[in-house]
Amino acid sequence: MASRFWGQGDSDTEDEEERSEYGEGTEAGVGGGEASGAATGSRYLQTNASDSEDSDGQRRVVRSAKDKRFEEMSATVDQMKNAMKINDWVSLQESFDKINKQLEKVIRVTESEKAPNLYIKALVMLEDFLAQALANKDAKKKMSSSNAKALNSMKQKLKKNNKQFEDVINKYREKPESEEDGDGDEPSDGEEDDDDDGEFVEDPTKIGSLSDSGSDGEDEDEDNQAEAGGGWEKKMSKKDKLMDKQFMKDPSEITWDTVDKKLKEIVAARGRKGTGRVEQVEQLTFLTRVAKTPAQKLEILFSVVSAQFDVNPSLSGHMPINVWKKCIQNMLIILDILEQYPNIVVDDSVEPEENESQKGADYKGTIHVWGNLVAFIERMDIEYFKSLQCIDPHTREYVERLRDEPMFVVLAQNVQNYFERIGDFKAAAKVALRLVELVYYKPQEVYDAMRNLSEQRTDGTEDGENGDLEADEEPHVVEENRGPPSFVVTPELVPRRPTFPENSRTLMDELVSLIYKYGDERTKARAMLCDIYHHAILDEFSTARDLLLMSHLQDGVQHMDISTQILFNRAMAQLGLCAFRVSLITEAHGCLSELYAGGRVKELLAQGVSQNRYYEKTPEQEKLERRRQMPYHMHVNLELLEAVHLTCAMLLEVANMAANTHDAKHKVISKTFRRLLEVSERQTFTGPPENVRDHVMAATRALTKGDFQKAFDVIKSLDVWKLLRNKDNVLEMLKSKIKEEALRTYLLTYASSYDSLSITQLTAMFDISEAHAHSIVSKMMITEELHASWDQPTRCIAFHNVEHSRLQNLAFQLTEKLSVLVESNERAFEARTGGGLDGLPPRRREGQDYAGAATGKWQDNFLSQGRQSGYGGRSGYVTGGRFQNSGQAQGGFSKDRMGQQGLRGTGGRYQDAYGSGVGRTPYQMGSSMRSQTDASARMVSLNKAGRVQ
Amino acid sequence: MASYDLTSRIAPHLDRHLVFPLLEFLQERQFYPDDQILKAKIELLSKTNMVDYAMDIHKSLYHTEDVPQDMVDRRVEVVARLKSLEESAAPLVGFLQNPSLVQELRPDKQYNLQMLKDRFQIGAEQIEALYQYAKFQFECGNYSGAADYLYQYRALCTNSDRSLSALWGKLAAEILMQNWDVALEELNRLKEIIDSKNFASPLNQLQNRIWLMHWSLFIFFNHENGRNGIIDLFFQDRYLNAIQTNAHHLLRYVATAVIVNKRRRNMLKELIKVIQQEQHSYRDPITEFLECLYVNYDFDGAQKKLRECEDVILNDPFLGKQVEDPNFSTVPLRDEFLENARLFIFETYCRIHQCIDIGVLAEKLNLKYEEAEGWIVNLVRNAKLDAKVDSKSGTLVMEPNHLNVYEQIIENTKQLSMRTYMLAKNVVESAPPAAQTAR
Repeated sequence: MASRFWGQGDSDTEDEEERSEYGEGTEAGVGGGEASGAATGSRYLQTNASDSEDSDGQRRVVRSAKDKRFEEMSATVDQMKNAMKINDWVSLQESFDKINKQLEKVIRVTESEKAPNLYIKALVMLEDFLAQALANKDAKKKMSSSNAKALNSMKQKLKKNNKQFEDVINKYREKPESEEDGDGDEPSDGEEDDDDDGEFVEDPTKIGSLSDSGSDGEDEDEDNQAEAGGGWEKKMSKKDKLMDKQFMKDPSEITWDTVDKKLKEIVAARGRKGTGRVEQVEQLTFLTRVAKTPAQKLEILFSVVSAQFDVNPSLSGHMPINVWKKCIQNMLIILDILEQYPNIVVDDSVEPEENESQKGADYKGTIHVWGNLVAFIERMDIEYFKSLQCIDPHTREYVERLRDEPMFVVLAQNVQNYFERIGDFKAAAKVALRLVELVYYKPQEVYDAMRNLSEQRTDGTEDGENGDLEADEEPHVVEENRGPPSFVVTPELVPRRPTFPENSRTLMDELVSLIYKYGDERTKARAMLCDIYHHAILDEFSTARDLLLMSHLQDGVQHMDISTQILFNRAMAQLGLCAFRVSLITEAHGCLSELYAGGRVKELLAQGVSQNRYYEKTPEQEKLERRRQMPYHMHVNLELLEAVHLTCAMLLEVANMAANTHDAKHKVISKTFRRLLEVSERQTFTGPPENVRDHVMAATRALTKGDFQKAFDVIKSLDVWKLLRNKDNVLEMLKSKIKEEALRTYLLTYASSYDSLSITQLTAMFDISEAHAHSIVSKMMITEELHASWDQPTRCIAFHNVEHSRLQNLAFQLTEKLSVLVESNERAFEARTGGGLDGLPPRRREGQDYAGAATGKWQDNFLSQGRQSGYGGRSGYVTGGRFQNSGQAQGGFSKDRMGQQGLRGTGGRYQDAYGSGVGRTPYQMGSSMRSQTDASARMVSLNKAGRVQ
Repeated sequence: MASYDLTSRIAPHLDRHLVFPLLEFLQERQFYPDDQILKAKIELLSKTNMVDYAMDIHKSLYHTEDVPQDMVDRRVEVVARLKSLEESAAPLVGFLQNPSLVQELRPDKQYNLQMLKDRFQIGAEQIEALYQYAKFQFECGNYSGAADYLYQYRALCTNSDRSLSALWGKLAAEILMQNWDVALEELNRLKEIIDSKNFASPLNQLQNRIWLMHWSLFIFFNHENGRNGIIDLFFQDRYLNAIQTNAHHLLRYVATAVIVNKRRRNMLKELIKVIQQEQHSYRDPITEFLECLYVNYDFDGAQKKLRECEDVILNDPFLGKQVEDPNFSTVPLRDEFLENARLFIFETYCRIHQCIDIGVLAEKLNLKYEEAEGWIVNLVRNAKLDAKVDSKSGTLVMEPNHLNVYEQIIENTKQLSMRTYMLAKNVVESAPPAAQTAR
């Protein structure tokens, strides 16, 4: 259609004539003076030509509304024609570049694979003209130097360019205009001349021979010309086959140099526009087979892996899974090589010498190859993690993806072994951390499942996992058979199956002790947190607690990166659950309350995005947040967490509220719980409980009246408990705790109504053993919560009823407040005179942050800040602990874990300042319970001393 | 009972020679078969130079007169080495044995060294030889000689690490010679060094502290003032931390010391806190007794534990030291412990009761009715107890001792004015300098 139109409507032949005429004219001796005349003449001619063109264009617009693009292109074609007329190769070259650019646009617009005929025609025309110009040797000599240069480069370019369109051009030459046929033969001859002087040949349509000759030319070109580089790209992007053939032609001729050169070219093209990422990988993969020396193969493999990393350019998406798998295989081959040739050293600090990889397999000295295995491993892990983030966890794909984990474990283990073998323990520690992070969140059952999976895998490797790989590698194998066999054959030396010890703890201990020994600060901190998490999962609360306290992680965590902070939060959450399971209610509450203080649990644990009513996040923030989300299988169940937290709060708070009825604000253990309770009390109607919160509130109402049975039933009816391990024991424990608290609440609330109370009645009421009841009541008497004493002969509690009047109570409060005032005055004075209260400023700042958080005003990266404030409070409980002043002794924890942490000289002071309750910030006022206990260093959420006094 | 035996946990922290007394004790108590202990002894001796002793044990163990060849060889070797060391240390030893020459030494170390070098040709090598000789003497079991030489050595030594080792050696020697007073001095000296010295790693320092505590057990449970000493030492933050990190079993001794020591009741709270924290890593009847009494208020449980405590004390090498009288032998610590523990129970019991049947009380206290009554009356008379005995009904009636509300408030506010006054005074005093700095 259009081609028809153009083909006929155009004045090609005329042009030809004109051009030749004109060309002759100029050659005939148009002097310098007439040059302008010639130019005008040409312009004139051009206008003639373009006249018709224009009208064509207009018609076209009207008729088919094709595009402006075609117009532009045709304009360029005209320019070219003009340039031809004046034999101006410089402008011709420019136009040629231009038309190539336009071609892209046109193709994009028309969405067709084929180049438009207009373009093809222009190419043919150019080719012809070029042939003519070259044939005319005299004219060539006469040309100005710049013109001649342009001519030469034009020759190169055109040759390369035309190769892409060879088919079309030939077709064009054959088909559309019969009159062109004659022309067609000529230029093709001419082209042959261009390609290889003296090589006269064959049918130009035979691609194979052409490419052969072309490649020969290339080989020479490479040596001579700098621009030749582009040729490879084109050829290879066309089809890998070409290269294959080229190398296949004579394997013995392939030298280290050729391969090296090629590698450099491909690598240089990396990241450039128009370089196909996947193709690059393929090219490189091909190169690995023709690599001459192990070192070179290694070098190429490194490039392959990097190229594979490039396949997915976007930061949020993940690497395609099949690429990831291939990447694993490549990494394993790398390790094979390293295993086979221990003299090859991978290094990224020194730039290796130019021809380092030329040294063959028999070379004995060390060979340096540039590369960074740790970075690769980390990247692999990140990609794995990202893929899990992206895949919808409820699909089969997710499960499939999870099954790939053993593959990564194999790799990581091998890399770690390698590093240990070469003595680079720092790197080994880094890799070990990656492994730790894969294992730490798995309870024993899941771990066993993974172990089984990997064992099955390896049994069925050949048909199972390799099955899909086989599919991918099939073509390779074929090609390999067809093409030259790999020059460097690498046997599979490193194990292809992960080794898992029976017990996940054993694995953790191994890895973690390596990290503690050699890791850097961050690696160690992370490993420590994973360790804590893992201990917590295994119900080893005391071990986990000791680790946490001795590592001083709480002090420094707000200065760490966000992902570590998230890990810390996860560890705390898990620790809380663990404490709950082993029936340490106070400790559990201590661990969890911070997480719930801001109402942003989801965010703090990176398990979802919580909406903030007051503040819209910017898209960047959202993106950032999404990027640090935990994959689904690593989640801590939020509902369970909430249930545990609220239940703990209830157990602690109900009796506490009963004990301090006079002023509710006096001693608040859990602010969150109080708030929830207020809300639920405001409700006019209380329906049957639906969510966790409702359940706990209902239980609380029952418990305040001392009705333990109902409270327990309500709590028990929660579904989430089934997620607990040894659920029955935990519920049993919960029941006895609820009974205890019910008893305490009852006594505190109704003490004034009794004069004496028999213990048998109490035991009957609360279904509790006598010894237990006796113990509880005795404890209350000793701590003076309950003003009563036993009457031993009658086995009764005799109440003293020293209830204070309201006035007396107020007086007590007044005195307490006064002493607080004096204390803070003293502190203020000390701070002013420099009493070594270094801790003051940071504390104050944190407090303000917290205040900001509460009102929801702050704007910045709230995730980290919010956490910071949270921790401000939390360090309170480090203080209570025994480790505060022990900067020195900590270091000596038997496993050498704390060595580095223990000696922070300032640490002790800082904490001291906290411990003594310096700086009564708004935060502290808010929860005076904490500050009080702080002051007496008695609170100790994590230490059990709570009720001893 | 062997399950409460701490020897295996303590021994790693002791010097080889210090383990002997423990093994002797075990042998005496017959916890383990004799030959096991004897074997352990030979094992111990194999690294020391007390070859003769090892031979004796070997003979009694296997009931033979033959001695294995390696022991004989070793004996020869030891004797030869002793000779050579004696020779190399001879000049200095000769000098030191001459009192008139020793008089010339002055407190100035540098001067002494210079003088020795100039006048007696005694240089660093001889001094080093003295150390080696002393060590060898110690290994041979000649503790008094070793102690003397080490003392001299310390006066001349310039190397601080060496000096520290010498001090450890001296302490061990004194302990083994049972010179408790001197040993205590050495102990304090050592403690100062450990606390002040900048150790390469905190781990090292911790290890030293733990050693020190273990060694000190010998002294504290034998020295007359040891019971205060142990509390003073062990309750220092650093040492308490050391116990909590790596030597939980020492809690037994701390607990015992606190129970036995009437004047250090105030430590009880802290102790219980620590015991609570460490209950997952260490527990024995003594700590459990405290736990029963002060955490769970389980008096029957406490009673039961008390009986177990008795066994533990009798079977502990440090606590169960017997005093031999011509007629009978007692373990003084046990009696004291039981007496005090009883008092603890009673006190706590009284605090939460207003009326107690003396019969029950007698039972709880492991006493007969009359004894119990007498005991109580004594307590009441000594005004430790605000109570009356109602002998008709056989009960003890406690006087309610509630502080008057007004008294309480006055009590609370009393010190406020003083503190405020002090504060105001301080502010005024520091104002001028503060103002200056402001300017």
